[in-house]
Amino acid sequence: MTMKKNLIDFIDISKSYDGNLVLDEFNLYVRENEFVTLLGPSGCGKTTTLRLLGGFETPDTGKILFDSVDITNLPANERKLNTVFQKYSLFPHMSIAENIAFGLKISKKSKQYIEDKIKYALKLVNLDGFEHRSVDSLSGGQQQRIAIARAIVNEPKVLLLDEPLGALDLKLRQNMQYELMRLKEELGITFLYVTHDQEEALTMSDTIVVMNQGYIQQIGTPEMIYNEPENAFVADFIGHSNIIDGTMIEDKLVEILGVKMACVDEGFGKMTPVDVVIRPEDVELVKPEDGYLTGEVTSLIFKGVHYELDVMANGYEWLVHTTQYVPVGTQVGIRVIPFNIQIMHKPESSDEKAVEIDE
Amino acid sequence: MVKKCASRLYMALIFAFLYLPIVVLIILSFNRSNTRVNWKGFTLDWYVRCFQNENIMSAFATTLEITFIAAILATIIGTLAALGISAMKKRGKTIFLGATNIPLLNADIVTGISMMLLFVRFTHLGFVTVLIAHVTFNIPYVILNILPKLKQANRCTYEAALDLGASPLYAFYKVTWPEIRPGVFSGFLMAVTMSLDDFSITYFTKGAGINTLSTMLYTELRKGIKPELYALSTILFFTVLLLLIAANLNPDKITAPVSKRTVYLKRAACTAILASLVLGSLAIFADGSRFSSDGPSITVLNYGKYLDEDALREFEEESGIKVNYEEYEDPEEMYTKYKAGSIDYDVICTSDYIIEKLIQEDEVLEISYDDMPNYQNLNPDIIDMTASFDPKHRYTVPYFYGTLGILYNTELVRPEDVESWDCLWNGSYADDMIMIGSVRDAFAPALITLGYSLNDTDETHLREALDILKAQSAQVSAYYVDETCDEMIAENAAIAVCYSGEAGEAMAENDHLAYSVPKEGSNLWIDSWFIPKTCQNQEGAQKFLDFLCRDDISMANFEYVYYASPNLSVAENQDAELKENEAVNPSEEVLRRCEVYRALNDEKTVLYNSLWQELIGHSS
Ligand SMILES: Nc1ncnc2c1ncn2[C@@H]1O[C@H](COP(=O)(O)OP(=O)(O)OP(=O)(O)O)[C@@H](O)[C@H]1O
Ligand SMILES: [Mg+2]
Repeated sequence: MTMKKNLIDFIDISKSYDGNLVLDEFNLYVRENEFVTLLGPSGCGKTTTLRLLGGFETPDTGKILFDSVDITNLPANERKLNTVFQKYSLFPHMSIAENIAFGLKISKKSKQYIEDKIKYALKLVNLDGFEHRSVDSLSGGQQQRIAIARAIVNEPKVLLLDEPLGALDLKLRQNMQYELMRLKEELGITFLYVTHDQEEALTMSDTIVVMNQGYIQQIGTPEMIYNEPENAFVADFIGHSNIIDGTMIEDKLVEILGVKMACVDEGFGKMTPVDVVIRPEDVELVKPEDGYLTGEVTSLIFKGVHYELDVMANGYEWLVHTTQYVPVGTQVGIRVIPFNIQIMHKPESSDEKAVEIDE
Repeated sequence: MVKKCASRLYMALIFAFLYLPIVVLIILSFNRSNTRVNWKGFTLDWYVRCFQNENIMSAFATTLEITFIAAILATIIGTLAALGISAMKKRGKTIFLGATNIPLLNADIVTGISMMLLFVRFTHLGFVTVLIAHVTFNIPYVILNILPKLKQANRCTYEAALDLGASPLYAFYKVTWPEIRPGVFSGFLMAVTMSLDDFSITYFTKGAGINTLSTMLYTELRKGIKPELYALSTILFFTVLLLLIAANLNPDKITAPVSKRTVYLKRAACTAILASLVLGSLAIFADGSRFSSDGPSITVLNYGKYLDEDALREFEEESGIKVNYEEYEDPEEMYTKYKAGSIDYDVICTSDYIIEKLIQEDEVLEISYDDMPNYQNLNPDIIDMTASFDPKHRYTVPYFYGTLGILYNTELVRPEDVESWDCLWNGSYADDMIMIGSVRDAFAPALITLGYSLNDTDETHLREALDILKAQSAQVSAYYVDETCDEMIAENAAIAVCYSGEAGEAMAENDHLAYSVPKEGSNLWIDSWFIPKTCQNQEGAQKFLDFLCRDDISMANFEYVYYASPNLSVAENQDAELKENEAVNPSEEVLRRCEVYRALNDEKTVLYNSLWQELIGHSS
């Protein structure tokens, strides 16, 4: 990626509601034409981050720069960005066309221009011919798409989207994902995107920010986040993983569940407690006598492309994805190749407490 | 099945209970007869007269002004307040909402009195104070109508508008306003309804000369039959009903952005607001005197229906002094208001014992009779009798006088029977007897029968009187004050204790009725004028009193009221039949055995009231 300049900088932002710390020393930059996704469990502060940027909240401390200009105290209507809100926010007493035209009328665009834009936007969100429908006659997903249309017709420099595709079915969601990415390429819009859905995040983003309880857990490309989670929280949040207590015996050798296994990580020191992450699809099932460990299949669910199995081995319930059919009760052996064993530091400082998964 | 029937019956009963009184009122408004008791055919006359009646129309104009100005102001203030409240944090919101709700829960009368006390501290009661009071009590209704809409509207849409570049004002106008508009509209209608409907608060905060329909209705209806007022009440009832329906029909479910109904409503709301603005400002223009008081004027307070209002016009023309004329019904109430400092009258007419009290309390100005040439037209004997409450004749001008006695039906009662108060106690008219329902008037016959003065306040004597009254109570069909006249006209009782004035009225309607003042003696009442210390125009007030003493004016008032007038020429110039009528003109011989009530001190008032409670408790 070529180095582009920062368009948005969050600098040391803290925000609390009624003494409840929601964001703590939050630092993040977004570069021009970048697609940044905030990913994290419910209540971790994603919407709050967007609202701070949108101008609907002011931070307790810290500042927000837009194009290197401090906009911390700039009123919402003067910020050059548009938001697609998490809650439905269409104007109920206006028709769809009036909704979409709202921003354009304020910026005094010509009638013709507005009409063209409405047509274009409705086509984009796959709702041609909806101009004169009323808001209440639309389904939740349709409303969400109109909200997207209403935001993008203004061609903002930055588009903030708060779980915009949550109410759509899989097919439509994939369509919209594609359209949004196309918009980014064609119009050069910068996206700050919020989602719960890790798959969506992995598909669309240039950069993913994994958050938990107001702290950033990891920032990185989708590949980095997926393949090299920095801690157990990220690992668990990005796909279900086996996260097992282990001890780093020496470089490239780790012991879990009483079994020593070869790995590729170094530099953890000797006899250090660590978290070991092994993805379900990386667990190989072999004959009992060929495995590092042996166990018994306790459940089996068909997931379409693969089966999801639980295997009880050495007191730990392993999550395994496999294309083989292995009936419940079968004795199996477990193997993992060294490259697929991911070693992580255990959380120590109080800050990192947040790493522990809530619930 | 049975259950269904029962529930229907139950509903029917509830509705009957709720609406029967109103139905009766509506029916009466079409009754040709002007008494309540009989139906003499259908007529719309009362409606016509209602619109021709200057009093009613001026009260109507005041009502419209107050209602609409107050509703508009309350709507504006309430809307802003609702916006503020909805933007508050939760705790502030709860506190604030609680605070706005308290006035709703408060009894109107409490609100009214407390506002009155507040207002008299800073200003004179008048149009503006009523207006302020109305705005105040309307605001919570507006707020409560708008808040739910604001909640629905959610901040999201407002923020979305800001996000799309709208300024806060534009966002409010384009996004929030359309969503709360139905609430604002129904809040406005609610405020109109409440204002139109309010009595207690208006009653206590209004100043001299200001009357709204409800306060006028109150005084007028208590005065007795005036079927124009039934017509007016009927109109008022349907107006309020329509407004309430309009407020409730007000659609929150209208969502289609360009539906016909919204357009219609938009128009209706605009029209209503415009109309009220126009009406309001017109009314202010038409009645500018309310705000500017140029030229001399006096404010007169009198009992209801106690003066020929043509005489007022005549006085205004002759003297160039404008008269604000106002009426009241209950002297105790007047006294309370006066003492609270909320009355700014220049000259007042009231009962003897109230004047005695006010004189004792140094609330009354001396009258210079030398400047009143017509004062000599009054009967010196009557003036002498005012000595009981105005010992040195310095403060009062007697206006009308009369007695307490027995009204009876000559078909059922022999005149000899009612020559003594004994007929009340000896059982001859058991269950056919109406006793007077006011404390002192009930005790007076008993005290007199026992040989005591009606001003006797010795507790043992009063207790003896109470025993007599208790024994009598089993035979009394009802204790009435205002209803006596109608009941006797309808021949629902054979005898009734009442005032000569009422007796005269009843006798004019039913030839079988006659009046007697028992030989043991009775009460003589003398209603008189006085000038209170708060008088702003003493010269004008005296001119007015002098005018009332003029022969022609005394005559006009006599012919309006038919009570005994202290004016000598009036007594001389009536026909023989009237002269003889004891209910109108007590003979000298009767006057000699009568006595005027003396004011009671607080302790005795309490005693009297407790004895009265004992009697009422005993009889029910
Ligand atoms: N206006 C507010 N007042 C008080 N607390 C708030 C307010 N807004 C958010 N919070 C709290 O701040 C925390 C973060 O909220 P936020 O809406 O940013 O979460 P989120 O990450 O968007 O969650 P979700 O995925 O469920 O939308 C939550 O605990 C929430 O309850
Ligand atoms: Mg959120």
